[in-house]
This record gives sequence, structure tokens and C-alpha cells, in this order.
Amino acid sequence: MMSRWVERAALPVGVLATLATLAVVFYYPVATVLAEAVLDAGSPTLGPLLDVLSDPFYTGVAHHLFVDPLGVPAGLLDWIARGFPDVRLGLFGFTAYQAALSTVASVVLGLPGAYVLSRYDFRGRRTLRALTIVPFVLPSIMVAVGFVAMFGRTGLLNDVLTGLGLGRVELLYTLEAIIVAHAFYNAPLVTRLVTTAWESVDRRQVESARAMGASPLSAFRDVVLPAILPSLLTAALLTFVFTFMSFPIVLALGDLRLATVEVWVFARVQALDLSEAATLATLETVLSLALTYLYLRYEARQRSTSGAGQSLPRKSLTVGWQTLRSPTRLAIFAYGVVAVVVFVGPLLSLLVESVTAPDGSFTTAYYEFLLAQQASTAVGTTRPLPAIVNSIVYGVGTLALAVPMGVVVAILATRGGRGSRLAEAILTAPLAVSGIVVGLGLLQTMVFGTVLFGYRLTAAGPIAIVAAHAAAAYPFVTRNVAPALGGLDSRYRDAARSLGATRLRALLEIELPLIGAAVLAGAAFAFAISVGEFDSTVLLAEGVDSYTMPVALERYVNNRSLGPNLGPATAMGTVLLLVTGLSFVAIDRLGGRWEP
Amino acid sequence: MSEVILEDVSVSFDGVPALRDVSLSVSDGEFFTLVGPSGCGKTTTLRTVAGFEEPDTGTVEIGGVDVAGVPPEDRNVGIVFQNYALFPHMSVRENVAYGLRYRDPPGDVDDDERVDNLLELVDMAGMGERDPEELSGGQQQRIALARALAPGPEVLLLDEPLSALDARLRERLRVVIRDLQQELGITTIYVTHDQAEALAISDRVAVMHDGRVEQIGRPEAIYREPASRFVAEFVGDNNLLEGAVVSTDPPQVRLAGGGDEQATTIAVDSLPSENERVTLSIRPEDVRLGDASAPITLSATVDTVEFLGDAYRVHCRWDDQSVLVKYTGDAAPEGTVTLGIDPEAVTVVGGEGS
Repeated sequence: MMSRWVERAALPVGVLATLATLAVVFYYPVATVLAEAVLDAGSPTLGPLLDVLSDPFYTGVAHHLFVDPLGVPAGLLDWIARGFPDVRLGLFGFTAYQAALSTVASVVLGLPGAYVLSRYDFRGRRTLRALTIVPFVLPSIMVAVGFVAMFGRTGLLNDVLTGLGLGRVELLYTLEAIIVAHAFYNAPLVTRLVTTAWESVDRRQVESARAMGASPLSAFRDVVLPAILPSLLTAALLTFVFTFMSFPIVLALGDLRLATVEVWVFARVQALDLSEAATLATLETVLSLALTYLYLRYEARQRSTSGAGQSLPRKSLTVGWQTLRSPTRLAIFAYGVVAVVVFVGPLLSLLVESVTAPDGSFTTAYYEFLLAQQASTAVGTTRPLPAIVNSIVYGVGTLALAVPMGVVVAILATRGGRGSRLAEAILTAPLAVSGIVVGLGLLQTMVFGTVLFGYRLTAAGPIAIVAAHAAAAYPFVTRNVAPALGGLDSRYRDAARSLGATRLRALLEIELPLIGAAVLAGAAFAFAISVGEFDSTVLLAEGVDSYTMPVALERYVNNRSLGPNLGPATAMGTVLLLVTGLSFVAIDRLGGRWEP
Repeated sequence: MSEVILEDVSVSFDGVPALRDVSLSVSDGEFFTLVGPSGCGKTTTLRTVAGFEEPDTGTVEIGGVDVAGVPPEDRNVGIVFQNYALFPHMSVRENVAYGLRYRDPPGDVDDDERVDNLLELVDMAGMGERDPEELSGGQQQRIALARALAPGPEVLLLDEPLSALDARLRERLRVVIRDLQQELGITTIYVTHDQAEALAISDRVAVMHDGRVEQIGRPEAIYREPASRFVAEFVGDNNLLEGAVVSTDPPQVRLAGGGDEQATTIAVDSLPSENERVTLSIRPEDVRLGDASAPITLSATVDTVEFLGDAYRVHCRWDDQSVLVKYTGDAAPEGTVTLGIDPEAVTVVGGEGS
């Protein structure tokens, strides 16, 4: 039968198409960036790399390692003799330093959350647990604007402080602001991973330890701690990788004085110094790949088989008036206040500031500004409606590309053996390569064009943008689909096949419907990633009318003609928040049909 | 004709052999059972027939056709799994009808009628609109059977179809399966780890161990004339006692023991090797407690007695060897007892230590 032949070819073709797509939108562009750093007119050279490494601006005190390695011991002794004075960190040093601080802040903010979620019972616990995934998919530029709206000179915090007759505080453009914003993103990740591990501790193990004479504290140390520590380390390592590559947060909340490697690469690209940008991007990618490799090695060793068994019993959070006499519970409420300020504050500020004039009165001026922009006929105007339409169109395009790609890689990943390891590697690389590097590579290969057999092939901005979004989004599809597919009894597939279904039909008719919720969750992720993607979009949308909501947002923030007023940006941010929120709700409703 | 023939089939997973040179042939309409402990390769054999595993070497023939490279969907076999694998997002009717959509060419009766007939066949008429989760384990098992039979397969493969059920239901359903197989006359390969189940319902049984076939034969032959020490131990209760070779021509052995050797010689069909020591198998029901007039008598002491209802299972000790006896007397024996054995009940199952 002809159709059978087509069905059998579909999956191998899908694998090849996925690999080809990745090659075009990810591997080749990234490779050209890396190649630029180590090639000079076609011949390999270490010159640019060494230039960067030996420049104290980039590597700080560590540049001595490359300039004068033999002088390092003497320099160290001298440093100790002078009583450990402050050292110059350089761009890379500062990037690592802020990532380390952000990691500590994320753990400090996230760990109590895991404790509360796994050990206490209260109304809305499940909802809260589910919400820990949300910050991760919120557009980072929007969150950055939210932070400005909260902590800025005319922000909500200062409005409240002035209202109370207290002075203004300046929190913006400080390292602290960047770190808190990073914690906003990554603390929920810590909470999520540790809660899962904590909930999988079998209460019988703790009870056995107690029955053998262990105190609650030693039972915690001997049974619970070994179970949650790996997940904590995993979360910390991931947080470090993410914050090391952080871009929009630092761009919006710091200035170039607080620039990280990623921001500097962006600045170099804007200054059209592509070669130095490529060198920096190469070093950054090598570092983040090394960290990601560490993470994968560690995670592979930690995969636990448990899951059966009962979790630890949860205490009730409120115990009537007695609640006020329990120091732990009071501490939890204090933590709750901090969490509300950090997580709800910026989003609420965004909404409030979008309708608040600098003098504190209600205004619709910013939304009127958006309408005026829309009506303007001037060339180069950033209009809100095209931004919204572009975001949704690219989002749908990303879905169409990322969902099949993610499912194909998930099939490879769950098959076991060599294909599985290959899939893991294909899968992880985009996680470890920053959006700026991908964007830079796409700019060079697709937008500027690639010469192939004498023809210059170019792809317009929108196609390059969708491609970049798909490369960023498909790992999230796979991360959702692969565990569900792997957890699905393979005998469903075997039964379907022995009844006459081809592999493709078994996938489409049996497996995917059974894990529909996971596929939809992956799709929701892919869409949210696309709508919120900023790093590569901002490069690919330069000077083209293919800007998205986050890019429009950034342009409003940086538009000096608007003065120091954040109003239009907060209004645009509110629109972005609404579209992101609505798309999530829409997908959730659609998904309801398949839920058992 | 839908016989299944495996010839020298070897299968390995990541270099670890799972099947080693397995050869067997199942004739048309036969109920053939693969039995063995977990990890013996019985399920792998079944999956190889179904097309889920490809042999490294050897050939698989179904209905006289070499099926190398033929994917599972084109092999025309029906399979029932241990957990039934009923599709949870489909009703019972949709489950049973699933395979009909791929039947080529479409059948002579219409699909609805065929599903109704099948549901009736497995005694589940009128349950079509239910969801699989609403059914009991035994009912799910019947639906899985109906689903596997729906496209009219040449061969029915059953992979431990009863092991998720409780003992009583298992015994009832195995008769249902056997009756159905007889009624349809379909070639059936049945996999189980339960040797009693294998003996109860099969035309022929293959005992597997460590990726190899140890013995193929009718249930009676497997039970009474185990070809190896493994089969003797795996199938049914058994006593394996040390024996010594008295002469090789004619082949004669005797029961051996440290200080209390039995002089009575036992004529056997053949000897497995030139070894002086052999292993002798004697079924517990062939050891008669209290029979001092038997040709071979052993003086043993009673260790433990289990009451089974219709008999006692008596664990005795003779010459530092444990001897299991099935005793149908009125009261539990105790102390020192005489065990009587007929030479005809003794089988040589292999050289010592084999």
C-alpha cells in the first residue's frame, strides 16, 4: 500500500528534517560565530581569543595568567602580603560574580518556598506549586520593566514611600536590583526542583530512622537532606548558567557599567564590531557549555528510581489563634510577605504605573500614546498593533515548527541506546548557547545571506526570527513530552502495531492522545517562549518592521524623545502581559478536552 | 496453514544475549506454551515472533513465510499483554474495533457486527460502551483477547495474560482461554512463568532457561521425564538426590549417600555422561511414607509438615539430604519414618553438578 510506505517514511524523514532545521537555524549559524573567533582569513588563529583573554578589561586580574603566567605566584604572594585588597574582576569576572550572587539569592529565596510547599498544607497550595513555573516563561524584558516600575525613581515603591512622608530610595541601576530580578526568575526553579525531591522522600524511611532512635533533626540530616541536596545543587547549577547568560534584565536594570558578557556582545554588535562580538560570544559559549556539561553529568547520576511510597505528612499552616504563637509559622508569613513583594510587586507595579502619572494621579495618557503611535505615519515608528500581530504570528509559526521537532527529539530520547544519547546532546546545546549568539549567527548566515553554489541565499527577518524562536522553544516541548512518552507503557504502542497500525499511526492515534496534556503544556511553553523571546529577536528585527512586543517594549524604554518617562513602556508591558496571559488561558482551555 | 517456526534464533540487547539459538516449531492450531523463570527469554521469543525484536541470526517463519524485516503491523499476529494495554482513551467497542480499520481488504461482515460477535464470544456482550477503567481485571483480560482476535490473526500470542489476576480467577480464565482456542482452532503461543498453568492447558510446552530451550514436549513428558536438572527442578515439586553409577552397560545406578548407601540397583534408559556421580529425580508423590515393603527403603526423620487440605507435604531428612514427600494419611507423621520408593519412579536427570 502506498499510504503505508508514506507512513513508514514519515518518522525517519521527520528526524532528518529536524536535524536539517537545527543545522540551518542553530548549528551552522552558531558555528559561523565560533569560527569567526578562531579564523583569520581562512587560517586558524588564536590571536583574537588571546587578545581578549589578556585584556584586563575583559578578564580583570586573571589577565596576568595569559600575559605573564610565570609572574602569577609572585603576584599572588604580593596580594596576600598586602592583605587581600579588592581585585579587578573584569567583564568575565563580574559576569561570574553577579551570577554567583544571583544563585545565592535564588537559593535563599527559593528554599523556604520548597519547605513550605512540601511540609505544610494550606488552601491554594497546589495552585501555588503550579504557579512556580510561570516566572520562567514571562518575557524577561517585561519583567525588567516591571522592576523599573516598582523600584525606579518614580516607581510604585517611591510613590508609596513619598505618600508616607518618607524619602525616595534609588535601587535601580544597582547590582542589587539585577540580583533580585534574577531571583525573581530562578528562585521558583529552586522551589520547584527541591519541592519535587522533598515530596518524593518516603515517610516510611523517616519513620524507620525515628523508630531506630534518631531525633527529628538527625532523621532530617540522614534521610531527608541526602534526598533533597542533589536537586538543590542541580537547581543552583542551572541558575548559575542562566544568570551567567542573562541579557535583558542586565540591559534594562544595569547600565554598561554593570554590563555582563552578553550585554557587551550586544553592544559590540550594535557598534558593528562583529569580530570582537564573535570572540566574546565564543568564550561565553565555551564556559556555559562546560557548565551545562557538568550539570548533565551530575543530573544523570542523580536520576532516582523512587516515586512509590508515601510522601511526608504535611502540617496545617494555620492552627487558629495558636498560629500567632508558633515562631515557624510567623516566619513563614514573613517569608510570604517578601515573596509577594518580589514576585507580585513588579507585575502589579507594571499595571499600576501604566495608569499613573508622575505626580501619582490616574492617567490614560500612556495608552493614548500607544494609539497615537499606531496612527502615526512617520517612517520608523514602532507601532503597537504590528508588534502584537507579529508576536502572535511568530508564536504560531514557532508552534508549527517547534512542536513536531520537539516530539521527534522526544521519540529519539526515549528510545534508549545511541539515539537517545545523541538526542540528549542535540537537545542540550540550545540550552547552553545564549540567544545573542544564535541571533548573531542567524544575522550573519540568514539575513546577510549565505553563498551556496554561487547563489546568495537570504531569508527575510520574520523567517529567521521564527527559526530562532523554534530553536529556543523546541527543547521545552521535548522536556515536557519525553518524560510523558517515556512513562507511557510501551505495550500500548506494541498493541497498536500488532493490530496493524504503523509506527506513525500508533504515535498519532494512541501515544500522543494519551499524553495530550504534556504535548499541550510543551506547546504552551513554546508559544510563551516565542512571545517573550528578546535576545535574538532584537538583533534580527533591527531596522526591519518585524519587531515583536518585547522589542517594541525595549524601544519605548530606550526612546529618549519620550524623556525619562517609563509610562509608554509600562503600557506596552501591560499589553504583553495580557497577551501572554490570554494565550496561556486559551491553550489551557483547549487542553481541557484531553484531560482525563 | 499458520505454523510458526523458529530456527537457530539469537537475539541480544546491547551485546547481552537474550536468546541463544532457539529453535522450535508450533504446528497449525496448536496451543504451545513457553515457560521459565523471569529473564529466561520467553517473552523475548514471543516479541521476536510478533516482530518487536529482530533476530541477530536465525529465521522466523509464520505460515511458511520468512518474516525477516516484516514490521509488526504486517505480521498478522494478535497479541495480549499481561496488563492488557487497553487504550484508556477509547471505549471497549473502539478498542475491539481498532484493528479492523487496518484490515486489508475490509472484512465480509460489517465492523459493528464483527465487534458484537467478538464481545459475545468472550462473554462481554453489551459492555461495548464502557470505558476500560470501569471493568474488572478479568473483564479487561477478555476485552484484550477480543481485541487481539478482531482482525482475524493467523497466530495468537499471549504474554503472561493472567499473571495480574488473583489465583482463583487465573484458574478459571485459563480454561476460558483454552476453550476459546479450541473453538477457533487458532495457532497460539502462550507465555507464562507458572509451570502449573503451562502443564494444565498446553498441547506442548517448551521449558526455557537462560535464553535457551531446555526441553520441548507434551506436558506429561515434561513432568515425568525431565531432560535436565533444571527442568526437573522447575516443573513441579521434586526431589533431586545424589546417585552413583553401578554399571554403564546395562545402565544401572543406585542411590548414594554418605553413611547410609542404598544397595538396590536401578535400571535406567541411559546415562548422561561417563561420570560416576549422577542426579536422580523422584517426585514427592512417588515416595510412599511408611511403606517398608518397597524395593528401596530409606529411614528418614521428619523436619516440617505442611497441611495442604487433600494431603500433607512432609519435609524429611535422609542422610543429610532433604526429601519431600506427599502423604495422604489421616494425621501428620512425626519422628523417624520409612520412605518406600519403586525403581521405576527414579529418573536420571544429568551428571552431578550439571
